[in-house]
Amino acid sequence: MNAVTVSDVSKIYTQGDVKVMALNKVSLKVDAGEFVAIAGPSGSGKTTLLNLIGGLDSPDTGHISVNGKAFEKMSSGDLAELRLTQIGFVFQSYNLIPVFTAEENVEYILQLQGVGKKERKQRARAMLDDVGLEGKYDRKPSQLSGGQQQRVAVARSLVSNPTIILADEPTANLDSVNGESLLQTMREMNEKHNVTFIFSTHDAMVMEASKRLITMKDGAIAGDQVK
Amino acid sequence: MNDLKLAWRNIWRHTRRSILTMMAIGFASLLLVFMLSFQFGSYESMIDASVKLSTGHLQVQAAGYNEKPEMRKVVPNPGVVMDILSRTPGIEAFTARSQTFVLASSEDRTRGIMVMGVNPETEKGVLSIATLIREGEYLSPRAPNTVIIGTLLARRLKIGVGRELTILGQSRNGSIAATVVTVGGIFKTGIDEVDRSTVQMLLSDFDALFAMDGAVHAIVATARELLQVGEVKKALQNDPGLKDLAVLDWVDLSPGLKQSIQLDLVSGIIMYLILIIVVAFSIMNTFLMAVFERTREFGVMMAIGTTPRRLVKVMLMESMFMTGMGLLFGMLAGAALTQYFAQVGIPMGGAADLMAQYGISGRIFPRLSWATLLIGPAMIGVVTFLTALVPALRIPGLKPADAMKAV
Amino acid sequence: MFTQLAWRNIWRNPRRTAIILTAIFIGVFSMIIFAAFSRGMADGMVDNAIDNLVGHIKVQHPDYRSDPDISHRLPDPNAITAELKSLLPTGAKITPRIRVEGVVANARETAGVEIVGIHPGMEMGVSFIGDAPMDGRLIEDGDKNGIVMGAALADRFQTEVGKKLVLTTQQADGETGSRAFRIRGIYRSEIEATEKAYVFISYTAAEQLMGEKNCATEIAVTLPKEYRNGRLAPLVQKCRDALEPYHVSVNGWKDLMPAISAYLAMFDAFLYIWFVVVFIAMGFGIVNTVLMAVYERMREFGLLKAIGMRPSWIVRMVLGESFFLLAAGCAAGTICGMAVTYYYGHAGIDLGAFAQGVKMWGMSRVIFPAIEIGDVVAANAVVVVLGLVVSIYPAVKAARFTPVETMRQN
Repeated sequence: MNAVTVSDVSKIYTQGDVKVMALNKVSLKVDAGEFVAIAGPSGSGKTTLLNLIGGLDSPDTGHISVNGKAFEKMSSGDLAELRLTQIGFVFQSYNLIPVFTAEENVEYILQLQGVGKKERKQRARAMLDDVGLEGKYDRKPSQLSGGQQQRVAVARSLVSNPTIILADEPTANLDSVNGESLLQTMREMNEKHNVTFIFSTHDAMVMEASKRLITMKDGAIAGDQVK
Repeated sequence: MNDLKLAWRNIWRHTRRSILTMMAIGFASLLLVFMLSFQFGSYESMIDASVKLSTGHLQVQAAGYNEKPEMRKVVPNPGVVMDILSRTPGIEAFTARSQTFVLASSEDRTRGIMVMGVNPETEKGVLSIATLIREGEYLSPRAPNTVIIGTLLARRLKIGVGRELTILGQSRNGSIAATVVTVGGIFKTGIDEVDRSTVQMLLSDFDALFAMDGAVHAIVATARELLQVGEVKKALQNDPGLKDLAVLDWVDLSPGLKQSIQLDLVSGIIMYLILIIVVAFSIMNTFLMAVFERTREFGVMMAIGTTPRRLVKVMLMESMFMTGMGLLFGMLAGAALTQYFAQVGIPMGGAADLMAQYGISGRIFPRLSWATLLIGPAMIGVVTFLTALVPALRIPGLKPADAMKAV
Repeated sequence: MFTQLAWRNIWRNPRRTAIILTAIFIGVFSMIIFAAFSRGMADGMVDNAIDNLVGHIKVQHPDYRSDPDISHRLPDPNAITAELKSLLPTGAKITPRIRVEGVVANARETAGVEIVGIHPGMEMGVSFIGDAPMDGRLIEDGDKNGIVMGAALADRFQTEVGKKLVLTTQQADGETGSRAFRIRGIYRSEIEATEKAYVFISYTAAEQLMGEKNCATEIAVTLPKEYRNGRLAPLVQKCRDALEPYHVSVNGWKDLMPAISAYLAMFDAFLYIWFVVVFIAMGFGIVNTVLMAVYERMREFGLLKAIGMRPSWIVRMVLGESFFLLAAGCAAGTICGMAVTYYYGHAGIDLGAFAQGVKMWGMSRVIFPAIEIGDVVAANAVVVVLGLVVSIYPAVKAARFTPVETMRQN
């Protein structure tokens, strides 16, 4: 079974009076355990594609399914449930909940899943340790550096044991040292937990590190290369 | 637990704004607690005054006497009625009374007045005229043929304590009743109508003078609690011993009183609703901004798997925390303010004279009760909840992808 | 330029502006409605009281009010009436009355009443009896044995038009006198107490009953509308001075009914307190909204300062914006409030559901809300002035943002 199936998906945005074809009949299959980078200039449809795979937005035409579940039959509550249990997100601008500490940000996901308090704390801390944030549990996002915030975000996306992580330009706001070490962490997770990673990027280093590189242009897939 | 924490911490992201919002809610609930206590306090003193000065809580009369008081409509056996009253639970005290219209003449003046026969022993427990004597003494069984009269009447008859008064009227059987009595005391209720036209004498004198044959016009009773009156009235009405008589409560005896209280209450409530609506709009912006400026955050939270329902819940928790603190503050401050004025009273200034005509003293003492403490804040709570609901219900309509694009 | 900028700025967040405008609108609207309603209620109360044989000015023996006895009658009513005629503006109605306490009786019942001797033709538009709804008819001038009684009293006496009544009262010489009368009419009044309180006979019949010619106990004056309030006091003083030689007391209605005047004064005070209360309720919202608008534009203010705008200008700009908010909300509230009042001012609001309670306080059952310009001005002034005062806080905040601070913010 494919982790992600995208078939004939189109998405049109209207900006003022102008219609923009963000995705034009895109089809894509990703297997479980893949480590995929989607590259392409800005406006080529990378983010839109990720949003659609995550069920954050719905396509105008075409079908998407994740782990065999077709989105078109699911309500917004079902989609939220799916994201909670099977999909993790990492965003370009971290997007942590500002009033929560690092630990609470990670723990919140587990609470949404209904995990007991004790186990929640244990798992959240273990995950933060895994991404290299030992001892920074009680810091609020504003007290962490960009790289550290992004690690919290990765920890948050991984803690719920998802099968798929969607990352939208995760290294774009990081310097090269931080970016590389984040990428390192992500690869470890991919290998250790067999989690599927799909991320958009225009960072050459990230493309280099990926195992499969999909190139997009003008809302369509221009190249798909498995290394 | 974390949802609560989230809601709580969100409030303090904008300390100034949240405090202003809580103050608006607190101010409104403070005001409502105080105003309602004030209103209920004044109603209580109005009812109290009317009950103590004229009607009592309950009266047993001949059927039809209240509508059209006539000399011949009597309670023939007051003893039987009093027996029943004394074994009815909830009755505190009772006394028998008779009254009729007569001509009263002093040396050089004649006036038409109402003469009342009362039993001074039992009267004291029910009605308060004994405490309102300004000059001379209250009635006493040891001093027959003595009366007490109102201050204004004394002035109009040009008469004082110790002087004689001739009374001329019609007895129960239609014959002429005439006697000379001595003025033993002068009372002042502050109600001009009463002070101008009432004379009280011993019930035994009244009985003899007007050939009442032991009958009286009314048995006036007070209940232990104002709120028990309805219950006691029902019990009396169902008593077979009273089936030919009318049992009336203070509402029947002074219908204007209850309606004027209702009118005041209704107009008060309209005013409070308007105030609450103004407050609602004035704080709606806070709730609205709380949703709008966090659109992006909501997008993220939905992306990581939070259901829209849950976000609405967190949002409402946040609003209700704020409301709750405002209400709590308002209730505490309102209760403190009310209790302070309940001790010292609120002077009514120039309006005191007018109020006196309805038996209300120059100071009104607000009265705090669970009802006055909770009704206002509860109304505010409901309206605020609805106010918070409007922006919060926008959340489920958000698409995570769009929401995350918001600034 | 300046006003344009302020006006455009308040519409940068239309939803938020609309909400706070709604708060101001409802506040001002309710203030005006509330004021008009209470004025209408108070006016009704005063009119009822004045109608109830009080009038706008009354001339009496100085002791009559404390002891309403025939011995305290006016010395020379005709001369006083003539004097008043020369003093008062045209349109004023002057009528003498004889009022004494007495007893009315028929075969069944006896009751204490006030006997009022009137010139029926002169009571029209002066007191309620001149145009009260009536079974039968009002007595005529010179009617020697006609009487008019109230419906409630007639009901109690179980009597009707054409039947007989006996009046007993103390005569001018101190002796008790009685005369028989025939009922010509039975009047109805809005207030039951009135129906029980007064019986009316002609002035001539009253003279006969009292055994004394020309024994008026009062002369009542009803003034044209424009003299009833502000111009009343000087007029009363003028009459008082002119009637000095007669040793009589001359009073305006505010002195005749001190309780009602005091009540009206309390009403005024309460109304203004309420204005302030409603303002406070919206004041929090005004501060909050302006504060939000200011914080959102922190960068802009920092920038303006950086390019050399003086802090006082920033304060003026923010105050200008809140002035627009306040003015727009007030204008809308005032217009709607006045429109609604205008409608109900003609249609009236029926308080029938509380009829007994309304009577108890001497109010009219139907209330005609009345706009007083003073109230409208006060409501608007309270909101605009206090609104600007509370806006000083966010305005000063805005002026204090330093360029460095604002850069850090974003």
